[in-house]
Formats: sequence, C-alpha cells, structure tokens
Amino acid sequence: MNLLDYVPGDSFLHKLNPVMKLLAAFLYGIACIICNNVIMELVFILLMILISSFAGLQKRALRLTKNLLVLGLIMFVLQLLFVRTGDPLLVIGGFCVFTVGGLMSALLLSLRIVATMLPLMLLFAITRMNDLCGALVKRLHVPYRYAFIVTTAFRFVPLFTTEFHDIEDAQKARGVEYDTGNIFRRLKLIVPLFVPLLISSMKKVDAGAMSAQLRGFNLRTTQSGYHEYPFHRCDAVCLLFLAAVLAVSVAGMILIK
Amino acid sequence: MLKFDHVSFSYPGMTQTVKDLSFEVHAGEVVAMIGSNGAGKSTVSRLANGLLRPDSGHVYVDGEDTGKVRTSVIAKKVGFLFQNPDRQICQNTVREEIAFGPQVQGVPQDETEKRTEEMLQTFELDGDWFPFTRSRGERQRIALASVLACSPELVILDEPTTGLDYRECIRIMDYITGLSREQGLTVLMVSHDMELVQEYAQRVLVLTDGRLVGEGPTGRIMKDMSVLGQAHVLPAQIPMLALRFGEKFSDVYTVEEMAEAIHREKAAEAAAMKNGRADANTIADTKHQGANAIAAGDKSGNAPDEKGARS
Repeated sequence: MNLLDYVPGDSFLHKLNPVMKLLAAFLYGIACIICNNVIMELVFILLMILISSFAGLQKRALRLTKNLLVLGLIMFVLQLLFVRTGDPLLVIGGFCVFTVGGLMSALLLSLRIVATMLPLMLLFAITRMNDLCGALVKRLHVPYRYAFIVTTAFRFVPLFTTEFHDIEDAQKARGVEYDTGNIFRRLKLIVPLFVPLLISSMKKVDAGAMSAQLRGFNLRTTQSGYHEYPFHRCDAVCLLFLAAVLAVSVAGMILIK
Repeated sequence: MLKFDHVSFSYPGMTQTVKDLSFEVHAGEVVAMIGSNGAGKSTVSRLANGLLRPDSGHVYVDGEDTGKVRTSVIAKKVGFLFQNPDRQICQNTVREEIAFGPQVQGVPQDETEKRTEEMLQTFELDGDWFPFTRSRGERQRIALASVLACSPELVILDEPTTGLDYRECIRIMDYITGLSREQGLTVLMVSHDMELVQEYAQRVLVLTDGRLVGEGPTGRIMKDMSVLGQAHVLPAQIPMLALRFGEKFSDVYTVEEMAEAIHREKAAEAAAMKNGRADANTIADTKHQGANAIAAGDKSGNAPDEKGARS
C-alpha cells in the first residue's frame, strides 16, 4: 500500500474540515521546529502516533516513522560529522571524530525531521485530495487552477510509478542491464529510462490539459462546486489543542534556554 | 525454442493469472496466442522473456531456464515488441535508436552499423529523423526495427498491430513471417485480430483465464467453435463463412479458396440441373446444417487440419 494513500474512515480526525487539517498539520510541524529539546521532540512524535491511532492509523504512522527515521539517520550522520561545537566525545588517534555539541545537534535535527514530516504525511491518510482541493477553493478562495495543480501532482505519482516500471521492463527486454549488480553501470543506463518517461509525461500533460479545456476548466470558480465545507465545533477544539501544543513548545524553548 | 512446463503465475495480491500452463513453440514456427482481454496473454508473453518469473514450473528459452538467467541476457535471444513503442524509444535519431539495442548487447561496431543500415532500408526509415515526433505507425516500425536489429532467435509480438492501419500491419507481418521462412526466426504473436492470425500464424494457442483451452493448426482452431467460444472470440470471416456453408466448404480458409469452392459448387449445381435432378433443397439443407453446427458448438471440429502443414 502506498504511504500517501487516503484511508477511508469516519473518526474525529476524518471529520475535521480539510482546511483545519492542513492548518493543524502545518502548526504541529511549526511546533516541532520551534522545539529545541530532544525529549520534547520524542514526545511530539509519540503524541502524533497516539493521535493517529484515534483514526485507526497507528500502523500507518509507525511505518511512516520508520521510513522517516531512515532520512533522519542520514541527517544524523551528516550533523554528527560536521557540527563541531562542545567538548570532543570520540577521539581516534588524535583526530576528533565527533563532539558533544555535534551529537546533541544531530539527535535533535534527525528527530525534528521525523516529528515535522509525520503530521504532513498523515494528512493524506485522512483527507481526500478532492476535499482538500474543494475546501481550499471554497474556504480560502484559492484559485481553482492552483488547487488543481497540487491535487493533480499527487494523483500523477502512482501513474508515473507504473509508467516507470513499464519502461524499465521495455528496456530490460532490449537487453539494457537494469538487473546488473554493478551500480555504476546502472547509473549510466539512466538515459533510456528517463527520456521515455519525460516524453510520455509531457504527452500526458498535454492531453490532460486539452481534455480539461474541453470540459470547461477555465470556467470553474468558487461557485462551481456544490460541496460545502463548514467549520464545526470539533475544528475549534482541534485549533485550541494546537494552540496548546505551540504554547508548550515555545515555553519549552524559553525555559530550557 | 520456447517451452512452458507447468507454469503458474500470479501478480502479488491478485488471483492466479496463469494456471498450470504447458506448451512448446518450436524453432522457425509462427505461433499466435489468442484470447479475450484479461485471459493472461500479456502475462504469458512477459513470462516468456523473463520479465516475469513463474511462481511454479519452468520456462525454457532455447533450453535455458529463465529463472536462472537475467532478463538482459535472455534479451539477446528474445526480442519483444511492446504495444506501446514510446516506452522504448530513447535516442535522438532513428539511427541511434536502432543501433542502441545491439550496442548494449555488445555487438561489434561495424556489425551494428551494418545491421542498422539494413533495418533503415527494410523499413523505409530515415536515419536522421527525430523519433519522438513521428507518426504512430512510423514509431511502431522504428521499435520493430530496433528489436530486429538485435537479430533475436525468437520474437514476441504483444499486439503488434494496435493503432496501425491495415497496410502498415500487413507490411510488418509480411516482413516478420518472411524472416521466419528464410532465417528460421521463431515468432510468438499475441493478438485478437483474428484476420491477422488466420493470415500469418501456423499454429494457434487459445487462452482463457490463464489456462490453455485449445492448441492446434490455425485452420482447425479457426473452425473449432467450442474452443473459440470458450475464449469469447469469433473465427476470421472466411473460415466462419465456410463453417456456415457446411461440409462441402470444410477445407476453405482463404478468399481464393472460397472463390474456388463457390465456383466448384456452382458448376456442380449447374451439372445437377442439367441432369434434371436439381433440387433447391440441397443448398438450403447445406446452409441449415452449417447453422446447426454453429448452434451446437463444435460439430465442425472434425474439419481437416492440413492448414498448418500447408502454409
């Protein structure tokens, strides 16, 4: 299953207004960025997993965390080796490999990446792309064409994945060695893979634009959708909760300084 | 040349697409695989060149088990023409495109050039064209030329004629079957264009739900309504007409044969008239028999099967 797919459900989280969900993911992310304490970052991650379990998404959240941790690990290593503040912690043969400051900053940054990305990724599990697009147009008066760009981009991802695999197969059948173990040889073979993908994408986009025009795309305005996206009490509760999270994060920053 | 030995395959998370399939394609044969959409034809063709590996059973290409060899190695022996030529075209000029296959397979430079020029001539292509903006038929021809430039021993054509006009179809198929006759190229074509199958294939494999429900010389399969019925396809028009006409037309497969047979029957009728034994019922009866045969399913399964040997 794709990690960005919508998961149908009727939990508290699902019922929130799409605009609220987007704002919530955004604010939660900001709270995680402001936060400068390793333990609090950990709490934020756990809290997010707990919240997603209300919508029955704990498995998804855990898998996402795991995947994001890989990204976090890369950042961890880079930070560890390049940030050189504080006392040396590991010295091999007179060369300081990393320092206390490096370790702390690496730990914080990698956790921060996970904590910030997690709510944004989970947003897609509880929000239909069409709803998000519709709510943005109705509520925030985002021009439809911009909302459409975003939703289309997401919708095209699986299409491109399929196309990519088919092209890979087609080239393999001609004897291009994508199945070789040698990674440098594989890198050289990238042209026969990306040129057809680029060409077919351009063609798809062109055809898509034309069919959108034919169906009166440019006539669409805020009034065109019949779906309303009202705010409810639960949206207010959600907003309050996020204000609290932000406050805790800011307070933590000031106190720990 | 190609051998399926009790092959089963299913895509992850789906029901079995190919079930216990066994068949053989001999060197130099032109074999067609027919069946309705979703019968597993494309899957079988992908199993044949190692793009997919069987879950159980074995696929042998020229005696080698595809499960043990990399696809790019199998590609040296097996050419594969996809429905969509755009998936493989990746070079700036038609010449480079055709030369690309032999190059990645390590064919020497002068040999590659020789083959490329040959292909350009055969398929009436200009080597300096920018391949992406050519017409659909031309792109399909470019794709085919690049497949054949690798001089494979077996060519798999997955719906080779989709989106081509009839003239283009005939041209491609004539060339391929020509190669088969002259150089012993083995051809496995996947198609639901029964006219094309009737015209070019020596043998037909009929697939339904991933199982082989019929196999035999084209002529026999074309008149075996029970097998074709299972695959939800109708025979090509001339065999179908012949089937309706009944017994006396049982060895008619082509337009020429049909014309000949009609002349023959007419002459016979005229002769009968002359002899005063003319009876309009004879012909009516014959037609009636044919219709019954179709309704009953496979009465004409006993049609002679010399067609395969003949062509």
